[in-house]
Amino acid sequence: MRAPHISRFAFAGAVLLAAGCGKKDDATDVIPPPPAATVAFRVTSVDLGKSITADKMIANSTDDFAPGDTVYVSVATEGTSPGAAIKARFTFQDGQVVEESTQTVAPTGPARTEFHIVKPSGWPEGKYKVEITVDGALAGSKDFEVKRG
Amino acid sequence: MAADKKPDFSDVRSGSSSTAPDSRPASTSRRTYTVVAGDSLSKIAKRTYGDANRWRVIYELNKDIIKNPDLIYPGQVLTLPDA
Repeated sequence: MRAPHISRFAFAGAVLLAAGCGKKDDATDVIPPPPAATVAFRVTSVDLGKSITADKMIANSTDDFAPGDTVYVSVATEGTSPGAAIKARFTFQDGQVVEESTQTVAPTGPARTEFHIVKPSGWPEGKYKVEITVDGALAGSKDFEVKRG
Repeated sequence: MAADKKPDFSDVRSGSSSTAPDSRPASTSRRTYTVVAGDSLSKIAKRTYGDANRWRVIYELNKDIIKNPDLIYPGQVLTLPDA
């Protein structure tokens, strides 16, 4: 005769447990916001052109230049860094280093860094390359050519 | 052998700038010096700091425009650290 009582208690306990579990599930519906994501510093694009805008973007993108042109390279980056050395290394088709220039930056988000080279006596015709490195690691490159009009 | 003659890029001038802040400490004050004929890094160091051996500091700070520390050119604008 006791068995039915026991099963009734067991049933009630099961209901309470289920209710308790439901409460617990409700509490976990509040999901804490994820910690602020830090984006690793990296180069997202390298562009070439003959002029730049005030925000260091290439105004007229091209990879063909005339001997009297100033060559601009705009390096777009994202992420943060306490100090990243962005280096542009310009080389001629024979492997000769034309120019190397380094800009050390401490970005807190998306940024653009420009490098430019000019040769008052005129660029020799031929193929050139610019390689962009960040702290010594290759991050991008572009080929360009100098031709007489 | 004129055909073997490599192009001369010694007169190439360069510059750079960024929308990102410079990582150099703001407290570091620097000035500039325009190279004149007859200058050498050690002469500039001797004249500026009284110590010709400090040429290397000037060189390190201006590596982006000085390819060879024995060759600087009139008109080049060098950044000099304050003593």
